[in-house]
Amino acid sequence: MGNKQTTFTDEQLEAFQDCTFFTRKEILRLHGRYRELAPHLVPLDYTNNPDIKVPLALIVTMPELKENPFRDRIVETFSEDGHGNLSFNDFVDMFSALCETSPRELKTIYAFKIYDFNRDSFICKDDMKRTLNKLTKGELTPEEVTLVCDKSIEEADLDGDSKLSFSDFENMVSKAPDFLSNFHVRI
Amino acid sequence: MAYNNVNFMRLLSEESSHSTVSSDSCEYYQTEIFDQLPSIQASRPEQSRQACEDYQGGSEAGEEVSHDSRGPKVKASTQPLRNLVMCIQGRRGVRDRRKMQISNIGFWESWRRSQSINRKRVWAQMGGTLSGLLPWQHTLHAIEGRFGVGVKAYFVFLRYLVYLNLLHCALIGGFVLGPTAFYGRGKNSEPLTFGGDDSVLDFFQGSGYLDRSPVFFGFYTPGSLNLQCLNTPLLYLTGILTILFLSLILVVRRTTVGYKHTWMLGKRHSMNVSYKIFCGWDFTIQDPPAAALKHSFIRNDLKLFLEEQSFSLREAQRTLGQRVRLYLLRFVLNLLVLTLLGGAFSLIYFATKTSQDERDHYWLVRLVIHYLPPITISFVNLLLPHIFRKISSFEDYSFTVQVNTLLVRSIFLKLASLGIYLFFIFTTIELNQQKNHFHCRENLFGREMYKLCIFNFLCTFCNAFLLNYPRKLLQEKYPSSLLAWLWRKQHFLIPFNVLDLVYSQTVCWVGVYYCPLLPLIGAVTLMATFYIQKFTVLRCCVAEQRMFRGSSSSVLFHFMLMLGLLMAAATLGFNLYEQEVTTGKNMSSCGPFGNGESVFNVTGVCVDSLPSPAQSTLRYLASAAFALPLILAEIILLTSYVSRGRANQKAIERLKDMLVMICAFPLQSSSDKRFLVKQHTTVLRRLRNPPRVRSAAIKEDVPLNH
Repeated sequence: MGNKQTTFTDEQLEAFQDCTFFTRKEILRLHGRYRELAPHLVPLDYTNNPDIKVPLALIVTMPELKENPFRDRIVETFSEDGHGNLSFNDFVDMFSALCETSPRELKTIYAFKIYDFNRDSFICKDDMKRTLNKLTKGELTPEEVTLVCDKSIEEADLDGDSKLSFSDFENMVSKAPDFLSNFHVRI
Repeated sequence: MAYNNVNFMRLLSEESSHSTVSSDSCEYYQTEIFDQLPSIQASRPEQSRQACEDYQGGSEAGEEVSHDSRGPKVKASTQPLRNLVMCIQGRRGVRDRRKMQISNIGFWESWRRSQSINRKRVWAQMGGTLSGLLPWQHTLHAIEGRFGVGVKAYFVFLRYLVYLNLLHCALIGGFVLGPTAFYGRGKNSEPLTFGGDDSVLDFFQGSGYLDRSPVFFGFYTPGSLNLQCLNTPLLYLTGILTILFLSLILVVRRTTVGYKHTWMLGKRHSMNVSYKIFCGWDFTIQDPPAAALKHSFIRNDLKLFLEEQSFSLREAQRTLGQRVRLYLLRFVLNLLVLTLLGGAFSLIYFATKTSQDERDHYWLVRLVIHYLPPITISFVNLLLPHIFRKISSFEDYSFTVQVNTLLVRSIFLKLASLGIYLFFIFTTIELNQQKNHFHCRENLFGREMYKLCIFNFLCTFCNAFLLNYPRKLLQEKYPSSLLAWLWRKQHFLIPFNVLDLVYSQTVCWVGVYYCPLLPLIGAVTLMATFYIQKFTVLRCCVAEQRMFRGSSSSVLFHFMLMLGLLMAAATLGFNLYEQEVTTGKNMSSCGPFGNGESVFNVTGVCVDSLPSPAQSTLRYLASAAFALPLILAEIILLTSYVSRGRANQKAIERLKDMLVMICAFPLQSSSDKRFLVKQHTTVLRRLRNPPRVRSAAIKEDVPLNH
């Protein structure tokens, strides 16, 4: 390979390349981005797989995530402990699942997890209200929010339990024309 | 949807070998779907986390949790690693296991796999570079970021029209300019020099120097290429017909693609709130103004939805008396609209009559008189839509219906005013020719189209630099003055700008027969328009806070384009017919069909020269005896498509029901499971019998992204 780098062993880079949608160069660039979030915390040398986690508060300052109303939920979904502290593996995993070449099925699964605020594997009315409030920055009145959520559940709920299971969600998203183009983060 | 689809197909393949549902396939089916659902996986969070931990040590036990049946394991070994839904360590473990498999598989298989991986990477790279090479891609990206998808759609449409016009130029170059350049022109054609009477004004009036130049019909007299079936007139005609036919195919294809897209989503798409909530936010937004804009789009869209809900509630509560009064009011207002249209048309008629006035005036006055019809048409097209908008506010429709009625009325106004103008030109040219013999009728017609085209461009230019830019300067320097308050900042009104584009393209199509270089002029003006509009949008406009409903209106615009094309074809056909009918009275002595030849003469000569089987085939194709079987065949084809569509719809409904049944019943006892699966398989067996239906229903719809 071209330039000598000591961040990862070749074997590690190969593994990353196969397990994610990124090339070697992109993985190294991602490591650079990860490191600049917390330079005192993240070592330059990852050959021995150090167990370092960057906290949520630092990750959501990234320009790719800063303006996203769901940034907290995205980071929490991909974190192992559920509180948003990402190791480098989780970091790469997150951007890989959200990148342009990631397939629709994968994105649907993660979108469902992101919108499921209380993590009960259903998007209930409360989850939807929180989604809506994040989306409109709280500018709709509570009655309007209730109306919109009721109509939304009515449209998407197929099994009649007044909350969205994964298959309801998947069915709804499969008909949406701009899900794939909207639901990706470019890094 | 892929997981479920794979499962149904798996079940079907089992079905083909067994006639009844065996317990084997039951367990298999159940574990397939339910183990892969994240809801089930999430209910075992400790186990999957544990599995991830184990993978670091490379233990086998972890795998059993996520893949504990034969089916997914078979699938997992062929699915790309990246698509697996597990954390990175999990994937690493799978990768290591596959690597061990690779040494069992053998050299050839692993080499093929690595080759396919490399090929995919190369393709992806090429695709990326190619899409970056498209012209103006960077500008479009910037505009989308600042103003949203609607404004970007306008510029994408403009770019599409530029491509179309460049294609026309290439065809004209091949069919018309090429033969004339190589084989010369007729013996008594005038040389192309700057004569005595010519002036710069000729470029605006289309007379004098321009009249004798390749811009107009009269230049292309038949030259030395004089074979029976390959001569300049026939090539000219073929070129024009190819342009119109190709445009028809391209526009129809774009219209149907857009229509299918809208139809597939169902009529309720614009009302479908769940899309707005879950697919509404664009995750690629990075700068704060774009994010604020997106927030306001979404908020306004939801407010629009709520408004329409309350409107439909109000509408349902109307009493009979109110309804009668409303319908009466609408009838009166429509009469008013028709009267206004009639007034506009008579204005155009007077302008056309005045412009044919050939008396000698001061050069500026003469220029204005020549341009009087385009000025009138533009004035009418500018004023009337605003009056229509005022009128529609009294008609008490919901917002979408209001916008659509306004669009339909404006479209009708634009196309009808052009049509009326063409009709008046025909009649006045006829009259004038009977009075004093102009030597080239087609050139006169081409001249009018040329003037329309030039004036459209001038209007766009003046609008940007004499109207919008001063307005912006005024708003910036003296924001509190009275004039600034009267003349508020302009939003970029997408529908009306698209209407302008369609109108100018229609003018191009109508005029291409009489003015072969019109596509070139059109392409150049469109490219200049791109930069002018880019300047207007980026410097002078504020972002439209209300989102413009993209997809259904794009179908409307392409349909409009098609109407314009049909009008151009009708005009051409009428003119050719006219030529045939009046060929005895006034022989046009200019252009490729001069000297007493008409289009039908030339084509007749060519057909006669063909070998007799070809001749008789052509005669049969043109006769009535062929039309009947053709119509019958079309009816049969149409019926089969419609019935297939209906069967697909039914299959989709059945699959939806099955989905409900799967999700609704929490599986508690094994007898319950068996019963459910039996139900499903009988339905599936019924579905399987029309094989095309099944494959069409199960195939995933790929949504199209315009």
